[in-house]
Parts: sequence; C-alpha cells; structure tokens
Amino acid sequence: MLCDICGKREAKIYYTEIVNGKKKEQHLCEECAAEHTSFRLKDPFSSREFSLGGLLSGILDSYGPAATKEEEKEKEKIVCKNCGTTYEEFLEKGQFGCAGCYQAFGRLLGKTFKNLHGGDSHTGKKPVGYVSETNRIVNELSKIDKLSIQLQQAIEQEEFEEAAKLRDQIRELRKNEEHRVTSGEEA
Amino acid sequence: MPKWYEETNNDLDVVLSSRIRLARNLKNYNFSVCLDDEHAKELVGTISGCAKTLGEKSSQPFELCQVNRLTEVEKASLVEWHTISPLLAEKKQETALLYSHDESINIMVNEEDHIRIQVFHAGMDMYAALEKADKIDDILSEELPYAFDDKFGYLTTSPGNVGTGLKASYMVFLPALTMAGKIQRLADEVGKYGIEIRGIYGEGTKSLGYIYQISNQKTLGCSEPEIIDNLNQIVKQTIIQERKRREYLISMNGDEIEDKVYRSYGVLKYAKRLNTVDAMMLLAQLKLGMDAGLIKLKEEFDVHTLMMEIQPANLQRMLGKNITGTERDRYRAEFLNQKMVDIIP
Repeated sequence: MLCDICGKREAKIYYTEIVNGKKKEQHLCEECAAEHTSFRLKDPFSSREFSLGGLLSGILDSYGPAATKEEEKEKEKIVCKNCGTTYEEFLEKGQFGCAGCYQAFGRLLGKTFKNLHGGDSHTGKKPVGYVSETNRIVNELSKIDKLSIQLQQAIEQEEFEEAAKLRDQIRELRKNEEHRVTSGEEA
Repeated sequence: MPKWYEETNNDLDVVLSSRIRLARNLKNYNFSVCLDDEHAKELVGTISGCAKTLGEKSSQPFELCQVNRLTEVEKASLVEWHTISPLLAEKKQETALLYSHDESINIMVNEEDHIRIQVFHAGMDMYAALEKADKIDDILSEELPYAFDDKFGYLTTSPGNVGTGLKASYMVFLPALTMAGKIQRLADEVGKYGIEIRGIYGEGTKSLGYIYQISNQKTLGCSEPEIIDNLNQIVKQTIIQERKRREYLISMNGDEIEDKVYRSYGVLKYAKRLNTVDAMMLLAQLKLGMDAGLIKLKEEFDVHTLMMEIQPANLQRMLGKNITGTERDRYRAEFLNQKMVDIIP
C-alpha cells in the first residue's frame, strides 16, 4: 500500500488521530509520518543518526596541508587487501572491516586517533604470552647477528674497547661454526 | 546465589553499579561489518566452545545462550537488564551470550566486535570489576588468537574503542542535580576530560528515573588503571556535588520533598495503571526519600532491581505472554502495589 500523503513511498505506519471525538485513519510512509504527525520512528535523541564515519571524515579533512583533489582521490582508492574495504568506505561507515585494515590505513590514521583519544599508541594491557613483532624478529636472529648489531652500535658510539671485545667474540663464533661445517663434511 | 545487583555496599545512594566492558576481536576472522553468515556461524561456534575452559579456569560454570534464537520479548528483556546491547538483540546473524550463574560476568559473541566481555559490580567498585574482566580476558586470549597490534593495541571495529578496548561505566542516580538543571553543565564539564554522560539505557537514550551512565570515551594512549582513575575522580566529584545538592534541597524544601516522597509511595501502592516513565519517576522519588532518611523502608527494599523489573519486556516475561501497552500498565501497577505492601516497618 502506498502512503496517503505522498502517494509514492510504501506506507509503513498506520496512524489514527482522534480530534474532538472524530477519528481519522491514515496509512503513511516514515518520511511523511515524521513531517505531518507528532510520530517519530527514531528517538530524536538517538545518536545513531550521527555516524562516527561522518565525524571522522570531518576530522580528517581538517588536517595538514590542504590536500589537492587528486591526492584525496588517491587516498580514497586505498584498499585493504584482506577484506576489500576501501579507505572511502571506512570513512563513510567509521568501521574497520578486519585487522588488516589497520595496516592498510594505519599510515593515514595517526592524527585521527590522536584527536579521538588524545594518544596514538597503546600503553595498556597485552594478551597473555604476546610477543611483539620486533621481539619476534630479534628472537629469530642468530647469536652472530645480534652481536653484529651490538658491534655496529658500539662503533657508532665510539666505544672501541667494547667493539674490540665484540669483534673477538664474533670471530670466535665464526671459527667454531666453520669448524662444525668442515667436520660435518668430513664425517 | 545472590545476583550481582542484589549485593549491597557503599555509595549506593548515588552509584548504583559499576560495569567494565572489554572489546576483543579474533585476527583470523573479518570484523562484524565484513563477516558473512557462514563465517559468523563458525566464529560463534569457536568462541562458544570456550565455555567449558572458561568455567574450569575461573572456577564458576558458564552457560551458553543462542541470542538470535530467542523471542523478541526475551531479547528485549535481556536489554532491559543491561545483559545484552540493543545491537546484539537486533542482529539477525548467529550471535551468542556466555554468562556466569550470578550474571555478573557475561560475554557477547558477534556483537560489533567478536567478543565483548562485560562485568557488573554493585555500587562503586570498578577495580573489582576490572580484575574479574581481566581474568576472563586472559583465559580467552590463551584459547583464541586475538587481533592485537604493537602500536594500536587491541584492534576493534570502531576506531572509538581501539587500544584498551575498555569502557568503564558507572550507573548513577542524580535526582538533586537533575532537579537543579545541572546535568547539561555537568555533561559539558566532564566532556573536557574525555568522560561522557548518557541516559540509563545507553547510547542515545533519555534519562529515566534520574539515572545516568558515566563512562570513559578515550581508549587509546592510556593504560587501563589510568582510564579508571580518571573516571573515578570525576565520579567522586559528582557524588560530592549530588550529596551537597540533596542537602540543600532538603534544607530548603524539606517539607515539599517529604510530601512528594509519601505521595509517590501512595501512588505506587494504590494506583491502578502506571506507565514505565511514571513508575520510574515514582520509584526514583521513593529512593531519594529513602536515602535522605525522609521515609524509613525495610532494609532489603531494592529500588534499582524494581526499576529493571517494571520495564515492558521484563513484565511480559514475568507474565509469560505478550500484552498490549494498556494491559501492561495495569499489570505494572498491580505488581508495584504488591511490592509496596509492608515495606514500611
């Protein structure tokens, strides 16, 4: 059934009005009901009508050297490879599609987060047994790699005594390794 | 076993309850906006499968409830008890709820985030709630691969929850500040500190019965204790302001307030029809009178629980059938009439 007022949209609301004892019945669509009656489908206090997305794009717009239209267009084309959410969709909805979106859009978000939360990096709790990406990489390095990094740092800081010690340690380790390899070949 | 809301402790004249919510997601599933029905089913299955481990490790059994298979009234009733969010109730996809027997801990599955751990505590004790929530979170994180990032912390669907994923809210009763027209100013003021004040049923709802929720907005860049300390400072100030206002109100208009309190009692005891808004207001007046010592009621009389019981869906669940608004008002009045018998010792 179509709306009695506009005659275009589907009537979703059955509205009965009693004025001075006279009853009047109407079938209305949401829009006309909101406009012509005191009936509101959505609570006027409802904050759902403000999407965080709308606010987000507002915040982002106000940042940095005004980006040219082309630059804006380029940004909007960034896509999360995992779930296919585009940066534009993210701005519109204000919701991430998956964990990968944080990687895909992360570079563009630092300031947004700062504005939203006052900070841009997490300082709180971590999951039990969580190993950070940097620590994981470090853990996978061999002892020689780790010593080489320390040696580099010692040289940069001009701590030559320390550097010499590290150099000797590395040499020793290399020698042992070579020895193991050759003896392995002999066997 | 007493339910969490039946426990009694300090500051109950202003702070009704403390609630912690932790938002968590799994890294191997898309977030809710991009999750298809099939994966949603799988996700709910995976998380629900942790019920047994949760029970064993936290030494209290957890029950499982498939929320999307409940009737509309049952769902609405859970919303009225603050057990689930309106969003979870509305969702057509597979959703679930894991809850402890005293109902103080519950876990919403496949809400806006894959996991929403909620812990309730009566009165003002956010740290007790956080401790419980942390424990549940730790158990789950050992079972499930969380989406966590070195820089951004716990990854959430909304940028508004990223980092700690923590929302701490106090349910507060502010009759005197409301009567003095101070709520808007208070809201503006606390907003500067990243704290927000909303109506009793959360986002976008109006206040009923002078009850509000005060909660943190910021989740990234502060640790969990920092967030709670900041919120506690604000809430303590609010308690002081509210108590001062109540004293002032009673010293200036004591007779009038006392009259209002007893009138409310009279209406609650004898009225034949009461709608939700009116009933909430009358109960609020009664609570105010009780807290101020204007009316002496039996100690176990608990206004907060009653306020939840008289919500439309809860009444219908109690009756076991759907009834129209007018019938409901009649039944609500009857229910309250009975509750008022013998409450003045």
